[in-house]
Amino acid sequence: MAQSKEINISPDLIAEAVKRAMATLGKSPGQETLTGSPSGKLEAEKDYPLGTKRPDLVKSASGLALEDITLDKVVSGQIGFDDVKIRPETLEYQAQIAENIGRPNLAANLRRAAEMTNIPDDRVLEIYNSLRPYRCTKPELLDIANELETKYNAKICAALVREAADVYEKRGRLKQ
Amino acid sequence: MNITEDMVKEIILEVLKEIQGDEKTAARPAGSATQLQFQELGTAKVGTNRNEVVIGVPPAFGVAMTQTIIDIPHKEVLKEIMAGIEEEGLKSRLVRVNKTADVGFIAHEAAKLSGSGIGIGTISRGTTVIHQRDLAPLQNLELFSQSPLVEKETFRAIGRNAAKYAKGEHPNPVPVRNDPMARPKYQGLAALLHNKEVLYVRPDVTSTELTVQL
Amino acid sequence: MGKRQKRFEVLAERAVNQDGFIKEWIDVGLVAMDSPNDPTPSIKIENGTVLEMDGKRREEFDMIDTWIADHCIETDVAEEAMAIDSLQIARMLVDISVPRTEIVRLSVGMTPAKYVDVLKHMNVVELMMAMQKLRPRRTPSNQAHVTNLKDTPALLAADAAEAGYRGFSEIETTVGVGRYAPMNALSLLVGGQTGRPGLLAQCAVEEALELTMGMRGLTHYAETVSVYGTEQVFVDGDDTPWSKAFLASAYASRGLKMRFTSGTGSEVQMGYAEGKSMLYLEIRCVMITKGAGVQGLQNGSISVIGVPGAVPSGIRAVLAENVATVLNDLEVASGNDQTFTHSPIRNTARMLMQFLPGTDFIFSGYSSVPNYDNMFAGSTHDCDDYDDMLVLQRDLQIDMSLLPVKEEDVIAIRNKGARALQAVFNELGLPLITDEEVEAATYAHGSKDMPDRNVPEDLRAIDELMKRGTTGVDVVRALAKRGFNDVAQSVLNMLKGKVTGDYLHTSAIFDENFNVVAAVNDLNDYNGPGTGYRLEGERWELLKNIPAAISPEDI
Repeated sequence: MAQSKEINISPDLIAEAVKRAMATLGKSPGQETLTGSPSGKLEAEKDYPLGTKRPDLVKSASGLALEDITLDKVVSGQIGFDDVKIRPETLEYQAQIAENIGRPNLAANLRRAAEMTNIPDDRVLEIYNSLRPYRCTKPELLDIANELETKYNAKICAALVREAADVYEKRGRLKQ
Repeated sequence: MNITEDMVKEIILEVLKEIQGDEKTAARPAGSATQLQFQELGTAKVGTNRNEVVIGVPPAFGVAMTQTIIDIPHKEVLKEIMAGIEEEGLKSRLVRVNKTADVGFIAHEAAKLSGSGIGIGTISRGTTVIHQRDLAPLQNLELFSQSPLVEKETFRAIGRNAAKYAKGEHPNPVPVRNDPMARPKYQGLAALLHNKEVLYVRPDVTSTELTVQL
Repeated sequence: MGKRQKRFEVLAERAVNQDGFIKEWIDVGLVAMDSPNDPTPSIKIENGTVLEMDGKRREEFDMIDTWIADHCIETDVAEEAMAIDSLQIARMLVDISVPRTEIVRLSVGMTPAKYVDVLKHMNVVELMMAMQKLRPRRTPSNQAHVTNLKDTPALLAADAAEAGYRGFSEIETTVGVGRYAPMNALSLLVGGQTGRPGLLAQCAVEEALELTMGMRGLTHYAETVSVYGTEQVFVDGDDTPWSKAFLASAYASRGLKMRFTSGTGSEVQMGYAEGKSMLYLEIRCVMITKGAGVQGLQNGSISVIGVPGAVPSGIRAVLAENVATVLNDLEVASGNDQTFTHSPIRNTARMLMQFLPGTDFIFSGYSSVPNYDNMFAGSTHDCDDYDDMLVLQRDLQIDMSLLPVKEEDVIAIRNKGARALQAVFNELGLPLITDEEVEAATYAHGSKDMPDRNVPEDLRAIDELMKRGTTGVDVVRALAKRGFNDVAQSVLNMLKGKVTGDYLHTSAIFDENFNVVAAVNDLNDYNGPGTGYRLEGERWELLKNIPAAISPEDI
């Protein structure tokens, strides 16, 4: 990532940056309008794989379309690692497809994942480690749940952590 | 070593007796090696000596069980590890980790108690880990997961390398050995031995400081 | 004994008699699939909450019971499914007139004890029939192990390239020395995309480190995310169903495919099986996975295979656990990945259980290196068995996902894989891969043919690489700068695969044109003769043409 920051500013680059900013501006998961589906949700048969059947819906975390992610741009440093990350909208679409073919558990997992895209790598790892046995007291786990909810708007993840706090308490798996 | 049906039978019978709470046989070690003479010195404390490596063993080690899966007496195991540490000019300290029989957690507990932050965990059948305080419990510096391949010389090399880590060096890891045929031969037996090992675990008891006569 | 009978003397020398066999020990759970301590199936539901499961009241639930009851069991169908006689369900599994969808609909209402009760009725041929019908992806596939005793990178890259070229869809590495992990991952990433664009690569190490490498784009998926069937063993594995479910979502949040791993025998191996059968505990693992919303599971005893392998009906139990996985509509990577016997006869018989019906990944994985270099402690079959496998495909007209190859082509692809990695090492400032190493890796049988590297220097460089935060994008750039544009494009395409999230779905793999093939657009439609995946047409022409076959025109 460091390398991508050291490049010279060019008109192309500015145009790219504006495009990205526009793409991410004021959007939240699932807000894009879906055409051609009576339920307003994606369908496995019609829309999967998204990469080939619905490229119009797929953008990277930084807002780039798939066709904009090219080898030339990587080599010239215009594309960094943030430009090849998945964004929450895409995970919501994939969750809809999972639901459509009868996999509600997978869909739920993908929706938790959509929430987690907002959380930095290090914090994800820390929270994972906190959920391991004997790592936290109950209040510590509840603090994490609150942080997930308020700081990252991760409500489903927060519920999972609260549930864990109760079960760990009951089973004696909290920090002693 | 060939695993004969008789051997398996002997181990099974022995463990069954212990499950049934036959106290007379409970203390009798499996195999032919002699029991070690340990002295318990109370709750283990976090060391302050930066020149020490802590060795952690589970409750059955040297007492209810006295040799590794390839018949190395536990006495030799400790002698070799300690000699390896001393060769590097460092001191060893022995603790008994009572709450688990998992080699990773034992090694991690040893590392957390160690003044240098480096610990070694070794369980009765010979599986061994070199650990460092600030790693996750199931990470390791070096892992010797195939107990039938951990030989006498390996234990000395483990002691030496642990001491080198404690001194802040970057040693060449002890050469890893691999024998694809160890599993078919030993895994069933290893399961028997481990079930025996965990019978002695005391989840609520803290780790204790030990000395041993070698 | 006095005088030995000569035939018995010969028998005593046979390979199979070097294996360890043990008698069942029911009290600790050394029993494959039928323990008197296994619970009787039952369920009680009130207002959508499970109040009783398999004879245990909710107040008595341990962590795993709680997870399964609250996250896995579909209370809407549970009463219906539990009311059907187990023998009837077993018959539905093999009945070609009962579609897969109907079975999957009911399976989510079954308790762990019910699964055991159903599977106990089935012999191995019936279990294979169920696998053929129920595996999620229509097209079977295969995974390879790529490791070596020295963790030497040029050889890893050459082996990864060859594995891809031979037709594997996934490659997996692990380490001899733990801290080599990122370098091994990098070697597979580069070698793999050289050998076959679209090849998925992973590095199996401790959970947090494995996730870190995935987040950096150095791997494509994860598999070594272990779950266990008793609470004590789960906790000894330093996790809970909640931490593992969180971890599962963490992978998906970075666009990475993942599956859990479990296997019969792991609980008794770790000393806390609570006297339950291996299969009962394994089914709890399958259901933990389903409840976590993970798309698939690697099972089939895996690294514990010596334990079920040592008790009666153990290998049948291993197939039964694979079937339990697909019955839950989960991708199965079905084992056959660890040595469990000295006997070639036993070895092949065990493998046929998954090869004949076909699974999502028949081997997980096949050792693409000689077994002495296999750091998963050896697989059932290795690179020296390739030609036997090609002939088995041809004899039986069944697809193991292995392609016939020419020696000169393999030499070329191995060389390119090693050179591509050499270039990346140069660009990223890692300790150089010499031309001598590239040459040795190209022609090597295994790591015995490789020169030694300076290990402490490698380890220091790896620490720095991780501290610098090197990512998959840096690898793309390095490859392109050194003229490996095709490999660079493939590594980039794999990163783009993470942006679309298409390969997060059940049983997903990529073909060589980066088309995703999953149990969504390639759902198993087996419904008896004339349906489902058949090895025929162009593909059959390709696989039956082994180099050793003499053609009439040549005589």
